[in-house]
Amino acid sequence: MEWKEQIRDPQMECASRDEMMTLQGEKLVKLVNRVYGAVPFYTQKMKEMGVEPGDIRGIEDITKLPFTTKEDLRDNYPFGLVAVPQEQIARVQGSSGTTGKLTLAAYTKHDVELWGECAARCLAMAGLTAADRIHVCYGYGLFTGGMGLDLGAQALGAMAIPMSAGNTQRQMMCMEDFQATAFACTPSYALYLAESLAEAGVVDRLKLKAGIHGAEPWTEEMRHKIEDILHINCFDIYGLCEVLGPGVAQDCIHHKGLHVHHDHFYPEVLNPADQSPCAEGETGELVFTTLSKEGMPLIRYRTKDLTSITYGTCDCGRTSPRISKFTGRTDDMKVIRGVNVFPTQVETALLKMGGDVAPHYLMIVDRENNMDTLTVMVEVDERFFSDEIRQLDSLRAKIGAVLKQALGVSCIVKLVEPKTIERSEGKAKRVIDRRNLV
Amino acid sequence: MIRQLSVFVENTTGSIYQVTSALNEAGINIRAISSFDTPDFGILRLVVDDTARAKEYLTSRGFVVRIHEVIGVELEDRPGSLNALLHTMAENEISINYIYSFIIRNGKAPVMVFSTDGYEKALEALKKESIHIISDDEL
Repeated sequence: MEWKEQIRDPQMECASRDEMMTLQGEKLVKLVNRVYGAVPFYTQKMKEMGVEPGDIRGIEDITKLPFTTKEDLRDNYPFGLVAVPQEQIARVQGSSGTTGKLTLAAYTKHDVELWGECAARCLAMAGLTAADRIHVCYGYGLFTGGMGLDLGAQALGAMAIPMSAGNTQRQMMCMEDFQATAFACTPSYALYLAESLAEAGVVDRLKLKAGIHGAEPWTEEMRHKIEDILHINCFDIYGLCEVLGPGVAQDCIHHKGLHVHHDHFYPEVLNPADQSPCAEGETGELVFTTLSKEGMPLIRYRTKDLTSITYGTCDCGRTSPRISKFTGRTDDMKVIRGVNVFPTQVETALLKMGGDVAPHYLMIVDRENNMDTLTVMVEVDERFFSDEIRQLDSLRAKIGAVLKQALGVSCIVKLVEPKTIERSEGKAKRVIDRRNLV
Repeated sequence: MIRQLSVFVENTTGSIYQVTSALNEAGINIRAISSFDTPDFGILRLVVDDTARAKEYLTSRGFVVRIHEVIGVELEDRPGSLNALLHTMAENEISINYIYSFIIRNGKAPVMVFSTDGYEKALEALKKESIHIISDDEL
């Protein structure tokens, strides 16, 4: 397939670093003046730190500002961090709270347009134009996935097919009938859908050329797998509802990190232990400041996502900083017998075994007699199911050896029936920690 | 030659029942069943009246199923006949992966089903001893 790079907003996406830092500085000064007084939380935090709006004169002063955490959002739930009069709020979106309450984000009309524009930049980055038909099988609702891609398609002038999540048979039928040229969903559902399409033998009848996938960490191996099955290019879109929703960043055709829309979001990567800045290329916690949002702007929001950052011009021509593919979340990372383990490492290892195993797995961390145990449940599929116990046992031993090599800790491998592991029409649950640690 | 279904099941309460329930829904008649278990999982081996349809239905219900070709032989219902069969196999150095038996109704003789890697060799040895090899349509 011939590739034609499209840059929706070259002035912003390809601005020189000096130009961009000047713009970011101006926006930060305005932001601080806007929230100081309007949002009691920020006023109080800044007073506690002895910082006044006048102390912020450029983007380099950002380190003087306080952090915002997920706990702060919860404490100020639902509208405590809104910076505009209530009547200016045009919509709310929420993210699935894993610990009960939702995380709610509020948008003005301007913010909704900003969201569409950012998502449209991502779609253009994926080679899509107004002529394309975008099959959105992210969920629609409070979750930002469906709405974000829909707004992006609208801003781009493309045709949106608002499928929402679930009902794979119907997804497959509409994808073929409406001649979708791109589809958007979580990577784990993309793989499931790709395999289902291949199984049904309809891949050759599809018009797909791109897949836009995000909302959970995934690996290069997984991208290649989806690309190979469907003969398309897949892109990693990033966003979180507190900051905006999908469209904050995405990788381009060169797949050398996800381009952050730096005129709207200022990224920092900080050491999770002491919040000191990480050097370029060093992994730490991603922290975002929203430079343009009105409704619920966030200052130095700690995303808990682990990544590294690269500056410098990309082969595609964009100058925007690139964040590396996510290695996990600070709260997904499990310390097992003193070793840091991420679910993505398991995925990479299983995919590297080629066709031997399916990349559907679940990690269970537990503690027995004061020793951490790691059990990895791997689904059996028809390709490697053998009629003989000894062959299944040797496969299990092989998976165990591969995982031990990849993770640096030994684990118990359990072969389970397909669909035992919760299927991913939303986000796949990859790790359960049963240790009762205080 | 008999086409046998092998189904992957977890070693949990009700897992065999889930397979038989699915077969019941599909109106499949089970001729023989045998299970092999480890602490975590097991393999359920079945001989049914419509192997292809049973596989299709079980697969659609999310089971992992494979069809294996196994050898079925008819034995006389008297002491020593199984021993004689196994003697033939041992003498010809044919290893048996697993073996189980079932009885066809209407007064017919018991059938032994076994799996071997030395498939051709086993058939030859059995024919030489005039042991009756059962095919799918005789069931």
